[in-house]
Formats: sequence, structure tokens, C-alpha cells
Amino acid sequence: MKKLALILGLATLIVFGASAADKTTLKFYYYADATQAGYAEEMAYFDKFKAQNPDIDLQMEISTNQPYHEKLSAYISAGQIPDVFYLWPTSRDSSALIQDKKLAKDLSTVLPKDLLSKFSPLALNVNNQSSKQLSELPQSFTYTTTVYANTGLLKSMGLKVPSTYAEMKALVPKLKAKGIQTLLLPNADKWPAQSCLFSTISGRFLGDEFIDAVKAGNAKFTDKAFVDTLAFFQQMYTDGVLDKSNITMGYGDGPGVFASGKAAFFVDGDWRVAAYLTDKTTGKALIAPAVQKTDFDLINLPALPGEKNKGSVSAIAGTGLGINKDLTGAKLAAAVKLLSFYYGKEMQTLKWETGAYVPNRTDITTNKLEPLAVKLPLYYKTVAKTTYVLDGSLDPSVFNILNDGLQALGLGAKTPAAIAAEMQAAQDALAKKM
Amino acid sequence: MVLPLRGKVEKAQAYWVFVTPAVFLYLLVFGFPIVLSVILSLSNYNGGKMFGGDPWTIVGFQQYQKLVGDPNFWFALKNNVYIVLVSVFGQIPLGFILAYLIYRKIVRWGEGWQAILYVPAIISVIVLGIMWKLVFASNGLLADIMNHTYANAFMAGLNHIIQSMNGGFNITDDVVKQIIGLSNKDNLQAFSDPVSEIKDLIVTGGYSLQNIDSFKIDMTNLLSPKWSPDFMNKADLSMIPIMFVTLWCWTGMYLILFHANMQKIDDQIIEAARIDGASEMQVMWNIIVPNLSGVIANAAILCIAGSLNTFALIWAMTAGGPMNVTQVLAIYMYQNAFIGAPNFPLANAISMAIVAFSFVLIGVTLYIERKYGGKDA
Repeated sequence: MKKLALILGLATLIVFGASAADKTTLKFYYYADATQAGYAEEMAYFDKFKAQNPDIDLQMEISTNQPYHEKLSAYISAGQIPDVFYLWPTSRDSSALIQDKKLAKDLSTVLPKDLLSKFSPLALNVNNQSSKQLSELPQSFTYTTTVYANTGLLKSMGLKVPSTYAEMKALVPKLKAKGIQTLLLPNADKWPAQSCLFSTISGRFLGDEFIDAVKAGNAKFTDKAFVDTLAFFQQMYTDGVLDKSNITMGYGDGPGVFASGKAAFFVDGDWRVAAYLTDKTTGKALIAPAVQKTDFDLINLPALPGEKNKGSVSAIAGTGLGINKDLTGAKLAAAVKLLSFYYGKEMQTLKWETGAYVPNRTDITTNKLEPLAVKLPLYYKTVAKTTYVLDGSLDPSVFNILNDGLQALGLGAKTPAAIAAEMQAAQDALAKKM
Repeated sequence: MVLPLRGKVEKAQAYWVFVTPAVFLYLLVFGFPIVLSVILSLSNYNGGKMFGGDPWTIVGFQQYQKLVGDPNFWFALKNNVYIVLVSVFGQIPLGFILAYLIYRKIVRWGEGWQAILYVPAIISVIVLGIMWKLVFASNGLLADIMNHTYANAFMAGLNHIIQSMNGGFNITDDVVKQIIGLSNKDNLQAFSDPVSEIKDLIVTGGYSLQNIDSFKIDMTNLLSPKWSPDFMNKADLSMIPIMFVTLWCWTGMYLILFHANMQKIDDQIIEAARIDGASEMQVMWNIIVPNLSGVIANAAILCIAGSLNTFALIWAMTAGGPMNVTQVLAIYMYQNAFIGAPNFPLANAISMAIVAFSFVLIGVTLYIERKYGGKDA
């Protein structure tokens, strides 16, 4: 009896041991917000991938916002970069090291050609990435400034959607009298003011050529034109268009405050559309589809006084998945399978339907979009030109000063000239290092 | 008893058999990270595989030089000193006095107070940080209370102006000027010509005696002075809420520590002193404090080490912001290691600086304890 038990035990061990050994483990660090619509469906798709690939042990770890970057940075510092990860095209937080040190594979050499051919040329342009290679396949093109307008609220007050900054400023007292903010910009996390508003302001007033000239040493941040641009941003607080109480408001609080009608406009990236759509698991939406259709719109930032590039908006190649450069053999094959699944028609259709983005994959069509997601491509049509997102163009040592500085401007703690001087000093130090 | 040679050898072998695993484990868990941190602080390593990745070398004290010349480092250190001060000279004396009041039954329901004061110490500091953040936020509880008070005062002034219209609703420049007089310059800076613009707003707003309440509410929204916790944005002042929360959070822990040790003191000594006419103050100062001086010194060491490491509470309350005015060394280290463009050597140099300051302050504490005599109860 004892011998029989021993034999059975050994047999079980061999069978299960062998099956575990046959599996290829793939560590996947993914970026997703569990509170947003579409999260459950997305996870269901990854479960489908697991079911379709029993030979792959997909070990997913999911995080969002700053904690994602902090943990990936910790993984990088420990030399334990996940096999597949979510990546930004430029030097944004944790992506800085991966992009700059080319710690991700060039996807153009590993992904199937027929998959890559389905993406727009813009997505495949390596000049959009700091590494100058396809370290990630941008799933979308991201417009980092999108003004969400509560048109229903404006209409109920007999007000019009402004087309110029002066018109927007004129709304301030009328809205304030009703206890409503004009343009909501939560900025405790520092990057939103730079990425979602100032980049477009800079693009409108100065254009990309000024930033290129500064990087080439042919212009300086201390030049009057840039100092004036900073001063205009500060003026938005003085005019009451922006509210300084938002400076300590967390980035995650914005959609809820806006949806509750406490602000007439909300400036954020186009990706924020997803926050308002129906979560199919609960059937709830921050803004119900019928209300999205009638009472909300996505508009271009109103024309600024003296702007050079009318209707321009800061935009950048979107985020996507990258593969650890050290992967080879079965692990690499498993990673390619995962990316092929992720960038496949089904998953990219879901992403569009849940408002995450309008995919760069060109063969996606759907008729299941909620009104706000339908309005997204219409908003893109209002964009005359795209300009740099500054944290995608400048070095972190420079744009971190700008991020801090924009907070200080709002609080009146620093002058535009002082911030410009600090940025120029950091740019000079960078130039010396190179 | 003198052991034979074989016995001595066996004893030595047994000693090493028992001690070696613990020493090895200690070196692995504590020693190795410290040594690695020192090495990294002197290197140019910047992520990726430590061995087999991009080559990195020891470059000397570059990062330490950078630290010394960095005003952010000294600013963060200054904020840490505030935390140390409130901990050592706030938590310990307060915890001691509260423990004494309970121990001597000077206050009623001592055990109840003990439990209440200890509760913050057993709640997650992240939860506490978020809770206090909501209190001190620019649109939080404190601002709500203050703005409600301002709004009431503004409304009272507005009522007075409306009454002076003698039952009519005739908005003249003088009336607008009176309303503006109730406001402040922050509210008016959005207007280029406040009198005419506000008058125009009122006239075109459809206000009349029939909807006078709507008029009052709208004017209050528009012009009532707003209070915001601006001190949270200013260097030094911004540390006050954090110091307050630190005091509130950990005083209970020292209360328990001191109270437990006070119970070891012989009651008869205190009774004898009382019979001899010593006051409670004299008992505390001449009997309890000397008996607990060793515990007080240990508590001070715990305080200093904890204060220089403080991270979670401040991270949850302010994340070191806005504009880094509430940054402390641990947050400064974290930001250099994991946020933006990481600089691991600099982050390790900061952590070494934290250790160095801890040693200095603990050394001072031990010196004071030795000089003025310390003993446990």
C-alpha cells in the first residue's frame, strides 16, 4: 500500500512538474485603471489569451498613474525588467531609462510584418521615440490637450462655447456667480499643467521651432518670447480662468468634479474620454450616454491673444507595449504572441469602444461607440496642426523644473523670469554634459 | 569549573554552529544592502543589469559634492529637523506628561484616555495622511468652515446694503462700490474695471426684489473673500500641519511606553515623598524622570531614527508638494530613485546622508544620557 502511494505520488509530481516545465513564463507589467470603463472586458480578453495559449504562463501585474512608473523604475534599478511592459515613446518617468538606454527590443525586427503593415505610418515613425527605434508600438496618437465642455450647463445659463480666450475670460464672473469654475486643471501631480495645457500654449505662441532652437543653443528659455508665454499661463490664474485651488487637487479627482457640474470646462488629454463612458460590468457611467450626446462636447483650446499657430494642439505618439531586449527563444516567441494579440483587431476595437483611444491600427471599424467617443475624431478634425508635448521633447532635468514652475506660477510663488532662468541653467548644464 | 580542552573546543564549535546562521542572515539582510548602497553612491551606475549590463565604475564622491551644493537637499534636511524637533521635544514630553497623569490617576478614566490616545498609532499612516489631507486641502474641511464664515459675514454686509435701498432695487455705482468694499483684491483682479463690469453683470443678470435671494447667493459666490490654506504652499509654514499630525499620531505610542515603565517604580517611594510633602510636580521631576531617564533616551533614539526616515505620512498628505515645500530627505531620495529621470547614485548618497545624520543625532542623545545619568525604572 505504501509503495503504491509512493508510486502515485511520484507519478503526480512528474506529470505536474513536466507540465509546469513546459510552460513559458511571461512577466507582463501592464498599465490600466481598474476604476475605468472597459477594465473588466480588457481583463477578460487577457484571460482569453491565456486560454488560447496554455503553453504560456502569463503573469500579469497591473498598476496605473504614478505608482506604475515608480514600480517600473524600481524594477529597472534592480535589473529585473519585466518581459513585456507598457511604455511611453519619450523620456516620461520610468520610460526614460528604457528609451534612452534602449532596454526594449526594436519591435520592427520582431513583430510580424503583416501586423505592422496594418498600422499608420505615423505609428511606425521611429523619430517619435527617444530611442530612435520602435521600442513600443504606439497604439494611438495622443492629443494631450483636449477641452471637455459642459455645453448643457452653458446653454442653461444662456452662455456660448467660447472660441477665443477673451470670450472664455468673459464667462468667468457669470460662472463664478453660480459657484462654477471656468477651466478645471487639477495639478497636484505637476505634469498635467505642462502636458495638458502649457505645451499647447507654448506651441501656439512659439511653435516647435523655438524648442528646437533652444536645444540647438540658438535660443534661450530666458528670451522674452518664452518668458511671456509663462506669463500668459500665470495670467490665466489672475484672470480667474484657472482656479488656484486646483493646484493641490489630485489628477484622479478631475473627471468626477467636472461630471458633477462644478466646472464648465475641463482640460486634460484625449485619453480621459474613457473616464466618462459606461462601465459594462456595473452599467454605470460618470456621464450617461444620452447626456454625453446632448450636454457635453470636446473642443479645441480657444484662440489665444497673439498666437502664431492658430488651432494647434500638443500631440505625441501614444503609448504601447514593449519587449525586454534580453528576451530570446521561447520567451521572445511568447512575448511576440502577446503583442500580436494585444494589437489584434479584437483588442484594439475594444480599446476604441471603451474610449481609451482611437487606434492607430487602420482597419478598425465599430458602431458601438458612446457619444463622447464618437466626438473624439470630430475633435481631431478641429486641430490645425500638432506641436511638441514638452515632456516628450525636453530632457527630464529641464521639464521637471517647468512642471514645478507651473505650480509655483499658479501660486504666485515665483516669477516667469525666474523659472525661465532655472530652465535655461538646466539646459546649459545638459549641453555641457553632451 | 575549569573545562577540559575537549570541552572548550566543543563549546567553541557549538557557539559557531549557533551563531553563524544568524550572522550570515544579518549580513545578507542588513549588511549587504548597506555596503551596496555605499558602493552605488560612489558609482555612476544608472539602471539596467548590475552585472553583465552596461559597464559602470566607481567615480568617487561626485554625488556627495552635488548634494552639498544642492539647496533642495538642505531644504529637505531642514524639514526633517522640524520633524525631529516636534518628535523629541513634542511627542516625548507630551507622552510623558500624559502617562504621568494617567499613572498617578490625576485624570479619571485613565485607561480610556490611554486607548483613545493610542488609536492613531495603530491606524495605517497612509489612511491618516489621506484623512488629514482632506482636512487641509484647498477645498477641504478647514477651507469649508472658513469660507462658510466669510460667506456669512459677506451676506450680512450685503443685507445691510440692500436694507439701505429702502425697499427698492436701484443698482447705482455707489451701491456697487459698497458691495465691492465687502470683497477683497483677489476677487477683483479678474476685472479690469470692477465697478462697471459688476454693475453690468447685475443689471443684465435679471435680478430684482422678487429674486433677491438669488442675487445675494450669486454676489456671495462672486465676491465673498475666499480663504484658502495658503500656508500649505509656503516654506516652513507648510510643515506646521505635518508637525501637528506627527505629534497627534505618535504621542500615544510614547505614552504607552512611559506608562508601562512607570508601573515598575516602587509605589512606596512615591508615597513616602508625598508624606514628606513633595508636590506632584516634585514627584514627577525628582523621582519619575530620573528613574525613567534610560527609557527617555531610548525613546529619543527611536524618535530621531523615525523622524529622519519619515516618509509615508508626508507622502500621503502632500507627496512633498506643492513646489516641494514639504519635501523631506526620504521623499527627496525617493524622487531621485523612482520618479522622473532616476539618479540611483544620488538617491543612495541621500540615503547615506540620512544614516549619517541619524548617527550624529543619536550620538548626541547618548552623550546627554551618559552625562546626566540614565537608568531604567
